[in-house]
Amino acid sequence: MIVCIAVVGHQNNPLYIQSFTEADDALKLHHIVHCSLDVVDERVNNPKKSGPLLNETFLGLLYPTENYKVYGYLTNTKVKFILVTTDLDVKDADVRNFFRRFHAAYVDAVSNPFHVPGKKITSRTFAERVSTIVKAFGLSSAG
Amino acid sequence: MPTVGPRSGDAIFANVERVNAELFTLTYGAIVRQLLTDLEDVEEVNKQLDQMGYNIGTRLIDEFLAKANISRCVDFKETAEMIAKVGFKMFLGVTASVTNWDIEGTCCNMVLEENPLVDFVELPDTCQGLYYCNVLCGVIRGALEMVSMKTEVTWVRDVLRGDDSYELQVKLLKQVPQEYPYKDDE
Repeated sequence: MIVCIAVVGHQNNPLYIQSFTEADDALKLHHIVHCSLDVVDERVNNPKKSGPLLNETFLGLLYPTENYKVYGYLTNTKVKFILVTTDLDVKDADVRNFFRRFHAAYVDAVSNPFHVPGKKITSRTFAERVSTIVKAFGLSSAG
Repeated sequence: MPTVGPRSGDAIFANVERVNAELFTLTYGAIVRQLLTDLEDVEEVNKQLDQMGYNIGTRLIDEFLAKANISRCVDFKETAEMIAKVGFKMFLGVTASVTNWDIEGTCCNMVLEENPLVDFVELPDTCQGLYYCNVLCGVIRGALEMVSMKTEVTWVRDVLRGDDSYELQVKLLKQVPQEYPYKDDE
């Protein structure tokens, strides 16, 4: 199940962090997200030479740590989505699907004229949609 | 039924030029944002939006009457139906329904099922008194004033403020007959 998702801006500033477990290890999750940003930068700066088609959006598994897996997704505006999950057998397609829906919700939140780009996302609708997507992900991968 | 006119604005809507809805929504959002930055006071912004709408309405009525090809409305009830069914459809692509007529037939409510101006919009806590779509009030007021009706248009319900739909109240204050600027004996 997903424990944490984060949206990080292009200057590595946090725009939205939401954890879905008890808040005890919220700090640890923030730390994991922070560390994963380094991996993202590394992947972006040194693209793997293998594979002619560089699909730059979905970065895939960034690194497995203890009992967590961290996935990354990069938008064209250098905004990064980080997903931390405890599932051990997560299908690639499921994660891609999750990021696609998450990206759609993000775009709608950013289209709000009252949202200031670069500031945190305060939209309640966005938070609700993200919870729905996370729940749907949990159900699809558990079944 | 005396009037022979289009029952809905669908046919006209199909023939007018159209613009991308997101462009429209984002442009309007930018206008409201800029007004808030310039004026800083929510009540002032509401007034400005109404004034902008008024200016648009006084010009829009001519286009409406030219394209809609409807005959003269007999009473205010018909006028309101025309605005709701033909006017809104032609310019916003949505239809409204008219409800809640009072006894004299001078005051009604128009309910908008959808509102393209407010896609993606969420009011922040600092702007809670803002009537985001106030421009629509001004448009109706301005348009009706050009056809000799003085009205007052206000918002009764607004989804951005927590209600479940968009509802306008249109009240006819008086019918002003045409005044000619020259005297009769000249």
